[in-house]
Amino acid sequence: MVAADELPKVAGIEASVERRFNRIVLGFMALAFTAVLAMGLAAGLVMALNQRHVGWVGHTYQVERQISIMRRSLSDVEAGLWENEFDGSAFSRERAHAGVAELNKAIAAIDRLTADNPRQQARLPLLLAASAQIGQGSAQVAAPGGTAAKDGQWLGAITQSVDLIRQIGTAMLADENRLLDLRTADQRASAASFYLVLALAGGLLILIGLASIFVIRRYTADLSASRAALRSLNENLEVVVQERTVDLQRANEEIQRFAYIVSHDLRSPLVNVMGFTAELDAAARTITEMIDKVEEAAPELVSKDAGLAAREDLPEAIRFIRTSTQKMDRLINAILRLSREGRRTLAPERVDIGALVGTIADSMKHRVDEVGAAIVVQPGLPSLTTDRLALEQILSNLIENAAKYLQPGRPGKIEVRGHTAGNRIIIDVADNGRGIEARDHQRVFDLFRRSGAQDQPGEGIGLAHVRALAYRLGGTIGLRSELGKGATFTVNLPAAYVAEQGAST
Amino acid sequence: MTKDQPVNIIMIEDDEGHARLIEKNIRRAGISNNIKHFTDGTTALSFLYDAPDGPARNGPALILLDLNLPDMSGTDILARIKGEGPLKRTPVVVLTTTDDKVEIQRCYDLGCNVYITKPVNYESFSDAIRQLGLFLSVIQVPDVEG
Repeated sequence: MVAADELPKVAGIEASVERRFNRIVLGFMALAFTAVLAMGLAAGLVMALNQRHVGWVGHTYQVERQISIMRRSLSDVEAGLWENEFDGSAFSRERAHAGVAELNKAIAAIDRLTADNPRQQARLPLLLAASAQIGQGSAQVAAPGGTAAKDGQWLGAITQSVDLIRQIGTAMLADENRLLDLRTADQRASAASFYLVLALAGGLLILIGLASIFVIRRYTADLSASRAALRSLNENLEVVVQERTVDLQRANEEIQRFAYIVSHDLRSPLVNVMGFTAELDAAARTITEMIDKVEEAAPELVSKDAGLAAREDLPEAIRFIRTSTQKMDRLINAILRLSREGRRTLAPERVDIGALVGTIADSMKHRVDEVGAAIVVQPGLPSLTTDRLALEQILSNLIENAAKYLQPGRPGKIEVRGHTAGNRIIIDVADNGRGIEARDHQRVFDLFRRSGAQDQPGEGIGLAHVRALAYRLGGTIGLRSELGKGATFTVNLPAAYVAEQGAST
Repeated sequence: MTKDQPVNIIMIEDDEGHARLIEKNIRRAGISNNIKHFTDGTTALSFLYDAPDGPARNGPALILLDLNLPDMSGTDILARIKGEGPLKRTPVVVLTTTDDKVEIQRCYDLGCNVYITKPVNYESFSDAIRQLGLFLSVIQVPDVEG
């Protein structure tokens, strides 16, 4: 059997497991989101980098293209000029001019494109100088009226410049090709790092997923294990409660039986005491008669003591024995009645408190009128399911007490009130009588205990009986009172009495 | 009780005082039959069944039985007497302090002839016993089967 106090412990463990689980799952979620975010950022970064590399590669191609345009234009210039030497045609002149224009345009483009490259920029003044030479030369050569010798000089200079530009172009191309190689490599590297980041993030996500699955599975296993433990605890708890209830009922029955047996066994000697007291009384009377006769016939034979003993002492002793035994008999009968009441099987039924109190008030009307009291019943008292006889005894005892212990010189007023509080029914029996001192508030519910002036008949049984009945009905009884200002007894009962289970009587 | 053979009254009562009071009051009712008193169940039963002058072997009897005995329950004695045996028709008067309904029913079920609760009040007690005495003086007691 598992002790009932393990329940909260298990619940505590479960709560802590749940908290840890929540923390872990939350941690994994955060991690996964961070990974995805990092992956996105990294991908974006790598993409931007790649874009720039691609741009640079394109840029290099553009530069190379301008360089080839430049070199082609040189051929145009040379060819145009040589042709013009032979035929002097306008067409050839045009071709040379176009070549020069092309050349200048290409050089300007190269200047623009390589603005960020100091190595290429360093070559540009040479290019510009050479191209200027070519432009000037070609203009001289193409101009009409030039001598052959002069033209030959100009042509030689042009050829030199063209060669220079060609050389420079080759060098520039070589530089650009080197840059292209570098940039292509960069681009590849950035693409590779993009894939790497992707693979890393993917791997991380898979890891987190696996870890989450593992944790969730373990948590589920824990959860079902603790649920099973809880269930078995619960079942055990019911068994424990049932055992305790049975124990309690057994103890209660034991007490009832004990009270019953004791009261019976007390009665038996009492029969003797009373019986022989009666015999004694009869014998005493015979003796008294004899003394009377003797006194009549011969007064000197009867001493004063003998006369007193026969006429006063004996009857007085017998009277005291009688009243005491009678009181004892009443007490024993009270215990018997209580124990019998405790053994009675309760029969719950729907009881209208208002109607019940009305019946009680009617049956006590004569006595209540006699002492000059009035019973006021609050209209609309609730109903409840309980044992009618027990409730009737409770209320009639309380009302009887209220009518019995009035404050002299004040007309008695007994009020019965009631209301529902959740699944409880609260009934108040309030009076304006003589009240009960605070130190006796508990005592009055004890058997044979009474409070205040002992000027009313009674054995101190009523309230003990009332409390026992209230407990049996699953209720409680309380008292609010001040000496001289009345008392209010409050009975708190379940709205629906549930019969005790497993009771053997 | 005016028969050829005198009826013995057998009183099984553990309380000497009660026994004395019962006897006194029966005598006051004018019953002069022999009263034999036992204070426990064992000796009472051995007298009832085994003694040479006991009712089982010797003449009719009437039994006054108390239920609270030190060694056995009066109901056990009642069951033994009213079961199969030579004394099953012997009248039994249960005279006890118990006025529990269940107990009374059980005694009548077992075959007790009269059930009387001893009143605590002595006037009622002596009245009851005297009336029982008068009752005893008129009832017919069957012969014990051989």
